[in-house]
Amino acid sequence: MQTDIHIPRFRFGKKTVDIFPYWIGLLALGILFGLYGAFVVLRDGLDVTGLTNKVPWGLWVVMDLASISLGGSAFVFGVIVYLMKLKRFEIVAKLAVLLGFLGYTAAGMVIWFDLGQPLRFWHPMVFWQPHSLLWEITMCVILYLGVLSAEILPVVVEHSFFYEHPLHKRYPIIKKLVELAKKLAHWLHKLVPILAVVGLTLSLLHQASLGAYYSVLNGRGVWFNQSAPVQFVFSAMSGGIAFLFFTGVIMFRVMRPGLVKDEILYDVARLSGGITLLLTYLRLWDWAVTYYYSFDVNITLQTEALNAVAPYSSTFWIGQILLPIIAGAAMFSAKSIKSFRYLMVFSLFPMAATVLTRWNYNFAGLIAMPTYDPYTPIIRVSSYTPTWPEFAVATLVVSYWLMAFSFAARYLPFKGPDAAH
Amino acid sequence: MTEHDNKTTSQEEENKTSRRDFLKLAGAMVGAAALTQLPMAKKMSAARASGGGEGTGHQWGMLIDINLCIGCQYCTFACNAINNLADDMRYCVVTTETTRSGEEFFLSRPCMHCDEAPCVQACPVAATRKRPDGIVEMDYDRCIGCRYCMVACPYDARVFNWKEPIELSPQSPTFGYQEVPNRPRGVVEKCTFCSHRIDAGLERGLVPGVDHQATPACVVACPTNARIFGDMNDATSPISKALAEATVTLRLREELSTEPRVYYIPPESHTDNPFQGN
Repeated sequence: MQTDIHIPRFRFGKKTVDIFPYWIGLLALGILFGLYGAFVVLRDGLDVTGLTNKVPWGLWVVMDLASISLGGSAFVFGVIVYLMKLKRFEIVAKLAVLLGFLGYTAAGMVIWFDLGQPLRFWHPMVFWQPHSLLWEITMCVILYLGVLSAEILPVVVEHSFFYEHPLHKRYPIIKKLVELAKKLAHWLHKLVPILAVVGLTLSLLHQASLGAYYSVLNGRGVWFNQSAPVQFVFSAMSGGIAFLFFTGVIMFRVMRPGLVKDEILYDVARLSGGITLLLTYLRLWDWAVTYYYSFDVNITLQTEALNAVAPYSSTFWIGQILLPIIAGAAMFSAKSIKSFRYLMVFSLFPMAATVLTRWNYNFAGLIAMPTYDPYTPIIRVSSYTPTWPEFAVATLVVSYWLMAFSFAARYLPFKGPDAAH
Repeated sequence: MTEHDNKTTSQEEENKTSRRDFLKLAGAMVGAAALTQLPMAKKMSAARASGGGEGTGHQWGMLIDINLCIGCQYCTFACNAINNLADDMRYCVVTTETTRSGEEFFLSRPCMHCDEAPCVQACPVAATRKRPDGIVEMDYDRCIGCRYCMVACPYDARVFNWKEPIELSPQSPTFGYQEVPNRPRGVVEKCTFCSHRIDAGLERGLVPGVDHQATPACVVACPTNARIFGDMNDATSPISKALAEATVTLRLREELSTEPRVYYIPPESHTDNPFQGN
């Protein structure tokens, strides 16, 4: 009935040790440290961060964008499994939903600390400003988090705890709650095709708007590129599916051998590779358009300054163009490579490129901005270094993600007892 | 009856999710998305039609004569005093810039109160609004401190309240007393064109731009009268007269189409507007 889960063990001399408790302990330490940093941030305000009026967005915004984009496989596989009816990806889609849920909750956590007034986080839901891209993103992300919660419940109730456990007999209330959760999950599972459509719509809207909300800021050079929304959608798909492949190999091939065929994992790699290549092609043209056909003197100036002073040029050409082309081509030909070890290494590059894109968008536009003086505008280069509370909150969120993922990897069967659906 | 039957069969068909259904749904979504753009387009065209200073009622604007500015920063100090700002928080900034021929001049920059303000369109909670009289105002009780407006503003006109409000501005009482309530930590602040003075002044029958009590503090504090404020809809106001007299005026980063309400008279050596391409 239940999947056999192989727990990785480490050998120290003659002993084999299950490092899981130590790993969770380490993450708990990370969470404690993060909570202390979070307390400092909430007590003393954003003054404790390295952010300034010149660079008002920093590490946290990049983390927010990165975790949203790396959760991008959830909507893709919702469509693949429930609309295109490619049922062989169903188990992989469960992992995609998990990655989406963890990514979006992590994003919500980190952006909450980034607000100057964290207690007013609910304002966008009440005070609507539909002309603002950020409002649209906020609403989409909140609604999509609801969709992901509805999608993840059926995956969680597959655990044996929801079928048989001594606690059920001892505490009838637990039995009742479990039954309720199962009933709800059963009902939600029937809605999955609708959830897939809603999820696709919301995801395309906010993933595109995350690109658009930079590109509408035409006072800042590098952000003013027309294809940013398309790039962000493809980048979330490329990085998100690469992430799904990476975690999928750990989850299925290492820990649950036999549950998912190798061929299916190769297909996931091929999909990510194909989208990565498409994205890189788009990105090259976008660069050419922004760089060569820029009609605004300030934008040309800024692009030149970014190529000269910011890490923009090397991260762009190596991290966003060269490596993704190699890795994308390799992953696209996964069926000829047939080595999960190499493919996992290759899948790191689209993921890195996805995060780098967000990093570059955020910082390139912020640290080099044209001044507003009318005759001799220059590019003012600011600087930003994250402080320890920023790293602490980052540790908190990363530890949360890793801990939740570790528990899921160890305990979730990814296969229901009624294998019919 | 047949109609009913048809309906039920079509409903049954709909229940079977297929790619065609998905395409239909996607089409509907695209249509819905397009519909949401309509009110926006209407609103934007209305705003464009009204243009700078052509709306009804009072339309406040400012003119700064760069030739008269001596860089004393009294405008900044007065602003800091009445808004109770610390020295590192400035709504109004005076910088030294150079012309193309290398001469230095002082550029003082309040909020531009743009007609197509990027900050107003950016704010996710409508905490930043455009008043009918043209002033871009903030609702400090609504602002969530996301700082998207700061990123959107091409003029660096917005400052974030990183710290708790201070007791007394270092510029007070020399340059004036606090006139507006303190803002809480964690919101974005900005120049208001001293809307509290304008509103209170109008109630008392004063004329903003003429009577000091109803005029922005920076305008009153300027020792060389480099700043002129007033109603751009009123042909007899000081600003309308000055704008009519000026041979050339410019606005900052006009190429971005933000339609600022702050006009400048350029240095005498530059009788052209760099943004108009003449």
